[in-house]
Amino acid sequence: MKKNKFNLWNISSVIILLLMLVFIIYPLFLILGKGIFNSETGAFTLSHFIHFFERKFYYITILNSFKVTIVSTILAVMIGLPLAYMLRKIRIFGSKFIQIIVIVSYISPPFIGAYAWIQLLGRSGVITKFINDTFQLNFDGIYGFAGIVLVLTLQSFPLVFIYIMGALKNLDNSLVEAAESLGYSNFQRMTKIIIPLIMPTILASSLLVFMRVIADFGTPMLIGEGYRTMPVLIYQQFLSEVGGDAGFAAAIATIFVIITVTLFLLQRILSRQYSYSMSALKPMQAESLSGTKNILSHIAVYFITFIGILPQLVVIFTSFLETAGGQVYTGRLSLENYKNILFDRDLNAIINTYKMGLYAIIIIIIIGIFISYLTVRKRNLMNSVIDTLSMFPFVIPGSVLGIALVFAFSDEPIFITGTVLIMVIAFVIRRMPYTIRSSTAIISQISPSIEEAAISLGASETKTFYRIIVPMMLPGVLAGAIMSWVTILGELSASIILYSTETQTLAVSIYTEVIRGNFGNASAYSAILTVTSILSLLIFFKLTGKKEVDL
Amino acid sequence: MSVSVNIDKVVKKFGEDKVIDKLSLDIRKGELFTLLGPSGCGKTTLLRMIIGFHSIDDGQIKIDDKVINHIPVNKRKMGMVFQNYAIFPHMTVEENIAFGLKVNKIGKEEMTERINDILKTVRIEEHKTKKPENLSGGQQQRIALARALVIHPKVLLMDEPLSNLDAKLRIEMRNAIKNIQQEVGITTVYVTHDQEEALAISDRIAVMNKGIIQQIGKPEEIYSRPSNVFVSQFIGTSNIIKGIIKKKEDGLYVHLNDMYEVKMNNLKQDEIVDKQEVLVSVRPQEFVITNKESGIKGKIDSTMFLGLNTHYFVNLDSGERVEVIQDSEEEEILPEGKDINLNIKSKKINIYHADTKETLIKAGGYDEKK
Repeated sequence: MKKNKFNLWNISSVIILLLMLVFIIYPLFLILGKGIFNSETGAFTLSHFIHFFERKFYYITILNSFKVTIVSTILAVMIGLPLAYMLRKIRIFGSKFIQIIVIVSYISPPFIGAYAWIQLLGRSGVITKFINDTFQLNFDGIYGFAGIVLVLTLQSFPLVFIYIMGALKNLDNSLVEAAESLGYSNFQRMTKIIIPLIMPTILASSLLVFMRVIADFGTPMLIGEGYRTMPVLIYQQFLSEVGGDAGFAAAIATIFVIITVTLFLLQRILSRQYSYSMSALKPMQAESLSGTKNILSHIAVYFITFIGILPQLVVIFTSFLETAGGQVYTGRLSLENYKNILFDRDLNAIINTYKMGLYAIIIIIIIGIFISYLTVRKRNLMNSVIDTLSMFPFVIPGSVLGIALVFAFSDEPIFITGTVLIMVIAFVIRRMPYTIRSSTAIISQISPSIEEAAISLGASETKTFYRIIVPMMLPGVLAGAIMSWVTILGELSASIILYSTETQTLAVSIYTEVIRGNFGNASAYSAILTVTSILSLLIFFKLTGKKEVDL
Repeated sequence: MSVSVNIDKVVKKFGEDKVIDKLSLDIRKGELFTLLGPSGCGKTTLLRMIIGFHSIDDGQIKIDDKVINHIPVNKRKMGMVFQNYAIFPHMTVEENIAFGLKVNKIGKEEMTERINDILKTVRIEEHKTKKPENLSGGQQQRIALARALVIHPKVLLMDEPLSNLDAKLRIEMRNAIKNIQQEVGITTVYVTHDQEEALAISDRIAVMNKGIIQQIGKPEEIYSRPSNVFVSQFIGTSNIIKGIIKKKEDGLYVHLNDMYEVKMNNLKQDEIVDKQEVLVSVRPQEFVITNKESGIKGKIDSTMFLGLNTHYFVNLDSGERVEVIQDSEEEEILPEGKDINLNIKSKKINIYHADTKETLIKAGGYDEKK
């Protein structure tokens, strides 16, 4: 076969690599540069870093971040693991429905959880008031550390749950039966067989939770009050220093990226070391329990699921409540909030969200298909680089990416700050990995001889790609794209830095309405966002016949 | 309209590793030619060079005297059937078969006609509109065959097409392939590691090992007169025992022990010296359990009754271990631990040079020569 240097694959590799260099690598290096070089003299300096580590006011945020992250991660596993085990082991009425509800609570953005819990357990929350009135207490609401942990735990356990459900499904029950026949008790089988086999999954999912939680911006911002974590600090420093010396914000961002990169590498090493490939011929069967055990396990499962989905229920419910001046609920139902956001102001936030989201998802799907095909099938140096770079967005917290893009594109030659383009770029970078991951998984399952068959029948490589490979990949691509899509809708941490009045999104609107204390509007916006996410997910389930998503 | 394939001193390197080194081979018009060998012997590599998935590093491949080295795969017009069928799962049976016709821009009417013809030939008409996932392995392989044949390729290439099927289907499908191949009359190159399959299906076989062709010939020739020890052991079962050539006045004898010598009439006399050490290759059915005093002495270690015949694993006094097959109908089953005496059928056995491992049997009876 003749090797053509300018074929479709080489050209697309070059284009993708260039895009990555311009929109990911260059901005990140700019951050590093701003952090370690004096902006006036251009001399190398560590003064920003010293500044950070000298004052407790700053460095405490690292400790805070780690504290909330570690505690939330452990709690998320402690809830997600038993829940998954119970659903696999015990016949629970409505277990299919429960799984969908847990997925729904997972796809909702964390700041909506924070906002909903403020409504319930905040200073003037429903539950707070009830407790205070009933017990004559003076509980001031759940803010700070406890609040953040509550929200992020409930936000994260679904991820652990979904992962472990997957692992348990692949666990062959004959392993458990073999242990039983060798005289192991129920408890011993759990600790000696099941837990060790799903340990890699537990580790992998908890590290994913860890990465998500540590980079979360909206939750600590809304419910943290004085309890500041690193993303909050970066945002505040960036806002107060725009126009002036951005070096300090850049230095903090650099420190943050170093932490997340370390965690990411750790995760890769661990997941490589502890992985068994299992595929169950005979998966675990859920068994009916009877009596008290049955009732207790149903109560436990329903309760956890309910608490998980509670934020969505709260925002949808409160969006129909009448408020006095937007702040205080009068207790009456009304459509006033919707009237406010839909008819008394322009619809930009809503339209922008869908419009920019749609642009982004189209780009994600196209580039995602190419990246996964190139990295799996056309392995060469350039494509290995693309493979590594495509994982970068996992590592870069949204707030850092936001700042990096502002630094890079606020001036000639590329001046796009404040435009739709920069928002779409941020969305694409941040949410692409979901699509790439599931596309890569499916392309690895397609036998190369399928392609060879098409070529031997006379089709060109390009034709084979469009007629055979892309249609075969599509289910996998869409499974990832649905996650990209719903997480684009809820993207806050980069948007909050990049948005302008023309490009404000639903997520940003919710955030600003909450900050302004305008709970009525915030609820209505949240409800729209939540319902959109749920509908997208349900349509996806319907279209693909799947009941699972690729996280 | 069938073509011949000439492979002339082709070379394939993977990095520094020469997988195939100056291999030459002629495949005749319309024959079913099998490349047979253990895994890693280079047979699939050679097949993929013929179709073009592997480049040819040196030498030439010609189809009807036209060099095809630089013709891209999609212009070579060769049909290929893959080990895993490689059926397009998102298309129906009919769409799968139509794929090659569409990219070759065949007109609508002709397309329908050709599809219906081939569906009839491979006998899957009733599954025309089904999705492949609902069909069995054998049916999927029939689709793959139809899809490859419908474009009227010059050559049909088959890469271990039966290895994913269960034993019963494998036999059914190999008969089907043989019949369809004869019906269509297309020059076919068939790759397999299964010697029984190769014997059953092929017009001619090339036995390969380590990138080198060991022997080319008709199935019966390869089975009864393997050209070296490798072939004799790879094709069927062969017991290899040591012997010495004795030149006597009335001819050549193979001396097996002091009491037992066998006269050989078909040895290459010129290449043989007196007292030369040789390897004697005896197939299990070429042993005769005898009551005579002279013979090879041994003790039955284990017995395996397989219905039609009985297998004995015998430890010889020389320390060698051999397998012997006896017809169950004619002889009674001997118990394990019994001492026996073995004779060999001298007309059937093969004699090999102890060092070169090449045959010392005269060519004859089969005029095919490498």
